[in-house]
Amino acid sequence: MNLRKTWLGVIGVGVALLAAACGGNSSSGNNNNPANETGTLTIWLMNGSAPQSVVDGVNADFKAKYPNVTVNVELQQWGDIGTKLDTAFAGSAPPDVVELGNTLVAKYAAAGALEDISGKKSSFDNSSTWLQSLTDSCTVNGKLYCVPYYAGSRAIIYRTDLFAAAGITAPPTSMDQLLADGQKLMTANSSDPNFSALYFPGKYWYAALPFVWDFGGDIATQSGGKWQGTLNSSSSQQGLTTLANLVSKLSRADKTGDEAKQDAAFAQGHIAMIIANGWEVGVITDPKAGNPALATKLGAFPIPSHNAGQQAPVFLGGSDLGVAAKSAHRDLANAWIQTFTDQKNMSQMATVGGVIPNTTSLLGLGQGLNAVFYNAAKNSKFVPNSENWANVENANVIPDMLVKIFTGQQAIPDATAAASTKITSILNGGG
Amino acid sequence: MATAIATPELEPAPTRIQQRSRLLPYALIAPGIAVIGGILAVPLAWLVWISFQHYGLKELINHQGEWVGLNNYRTILADPLFHQVLFRSLLFTFACVALTVALSTLIAMLLQRVRRLVRVTLMSALVFVWATPVIVSVDIWQWMFDYEFGVINYVLTQLHLGNFIHHNWFDNPLQGWSVVMVIVVWGAIPFVTITLFAGLLQVPADIVDAAHVDGAGPWQRFWHVTAPMLKPLFLIVICLSTIWDFGVFNQPYVLLNERPSADYFTIAIYSYRESFGVTQYGLGAAIAVLMVLILIVVTLFYVRETVRVAEIA
Repeated sequence: MNLRKTWLGVIGVGVALLAAACGGNSSSGNNNNPANETGTLTIWLMNGSAPQSVVDGVNADFKAKYPNVTVNVELQQWGDIGTKLDTAFAGSAPPDVVELGNTLVAKYAAAGALEDISGKKSSFDNSSTWLQSLTDSCTVNGKLYCVPYYAGSRAIIYRTDLFAAAGITAPPTSMDQLLADGQKLMTANSSDPNFSALYFPGKYWYAALPFVWDFGGDIATQSGGKWQGTLNSSSSQQGLTTLANLVSKLSRADKTGDEAKQDAAFAQGHIAMIIANGWEVGVITDPKAGNPALATKLGAFPIPSHNAGQQAPVFLGGSDLGVAAKSAHRDLANAWIQTFTDQKNMSQMATVGGVIPNTTSLLGLGQGLNAVFYNAAKNSKFVPNSENWANVENANVIPDMLVKIFTGQQAIPDATAAASTKITSILNGGG
Repeated sequence: MATAIATPELEPAPTRIQQRSRLLPYALIAPGIAVIGGILAVPLAWLVWISFQHYGLKELINHQGEWVGLNNYRTILADPLFHQVLFRSLLFTFACVALTVALSTLIAMLLQRVRRLVRVTLMSALVFVWATPVIVSVDIWQWMFDYEFGVINYVLTQLHLGNFIHHNWFDNPLQGWSVVMVIVVWGAIPFVTITLFAGLLQVPADIVDAAHVDGAGPWQRFWHVTAPMLKPLFLIVICLSTIWDFGVFNQPYVLLNERPSADYFTIAIYSYRESFGVTQYGLGAAIAVLMVLILIVVTLFYVRETVRVAEIA
């Protein structure tokens, strides 16, 4: 299997070159009547980002305006998306619209894979009230390369019944209290060898960042055009020490695992708290994959700060929608994005999809548990906005560091120093 | 020397028919050569070409690399991770091949001795293992070794072999690699066993019986009679297993959720990570080229022996 992967890549490049040589072009653009536009649009959305009913609604709206354009929405998996995007953009016929995780945009924009849509910004609904950090993720060297799609921020989902049984009357409002409440839960459930008060898989770096940020640390800082990894700063280390203590005392999750299975694990009933996105409530209570009986027993609260009464800054995840620079139907692709992100469909994304919409004007739609997650987004941070950031992610620098810390393979100063050196090198263009 | 001079005079001038028949073999193998050249030689040449270039995402999209000579090779050879990964891959290959061949030989000899029904059952099981796609089987193994829901932890605990509740098999890389080795060897055994079993059927029973009559014990009969007769087969399966195990990718990659840490890099994963993970295709290509070169050196001995045995035969 060894060389095959590499060769596949090489063959892919070869095929792409051939295709580029013989590739043709089809109609779009120079005709102003939408009813006369023809062609096929290929849209790549990530699995789970939009409910099927919303996508169907968008396509119906689009079809009403462009009856002769065929739209193919293809769902992609997060796992190997970097590889797929690289090869797709290298080809002559990449998908016309791609959903990109907000941490990936800078890499593809800087490489020239995405169309510069700075001049078209005002054609999208709510573009003046787009969420600032999503707009930032779309902006590279002052130019706009994508349209904010949705955001996600994490909070703690907890079991109200388990809290009550352990004698906890209100959610914790400081990190110390989180630990104290967690220990109460561990004691109350000591007969269950699988019980975790706070389930924290070792590679869950999105959930680790709030601890780093809350103590004033960061992943990297930029000065004079050069990046410097700062996970080894004393404030970052303080945050990671607090987290490592919580994990060792409250979590029985796999210290080398990731968060992919955390909702399924939570649904099994041996967990009191997880750090999760708002939409994960739906996965936990899903009739097939989860446990609907938990629906009335779930609560949510923001990740508390070490300063009592405040909340820790959270990572603002999310996705953007970009148009491939090599697309033969760039105008149609933009038109599709306009429909997808218009007022009506964005409201659907918020109410049906349970995600945070791309505009501050719709933040009032967060109701019930969702309000907690919407609220958490207001105090959010982002990873270093560098074209090389995706390489830091793909090299697993932070997850590997966390695993080394949680399993005790390395002390926190050593693990953070090694990770920082690596991050500095990658962000500044090294391998 | 005298005959060499005399020979041309003895040969009559070739007729047109003879000339045509001389070209015929080349014409017959030409399609094969073209296909092999197309699917192996061209991509390999391209790989070598890219390994001399700086080939990042921008270059990939524009189909235009930047020539950097031997820089990629210098970078890799200076990277301590490469040395670790190379050493690990070689050690892992050696252990896997030794274990595969030893176990397969034992199973092949067992197959000779058991009743027909047992043999058919065993062979079917082996073919079943062989026929299971790697990704599917590794997924099943992953569930079996799962930290929370794994049957292996459950069974080991039930058998009172220790407390394996929430035992993490991949915490400690040595233990993790043992699991990978079990899966790789498990997948490799069917082919080697069936090949060796076929070979064992060709060993004449009367020679083994004669050795028995002469007072040779079971170990001597195997070592001095059976094994030498199977030598060509042993060489081939060792050579192939070495190539396969050195390039192992799927097992550790899938087992560790497609995000293995550096402790679980094989040389193939390292090359893939450099190419697709951090979009340094030139660097990844250079690693792959080095991998092929190392493989050639490692397998040269076996290939030479195989050719020698073939010439004697």
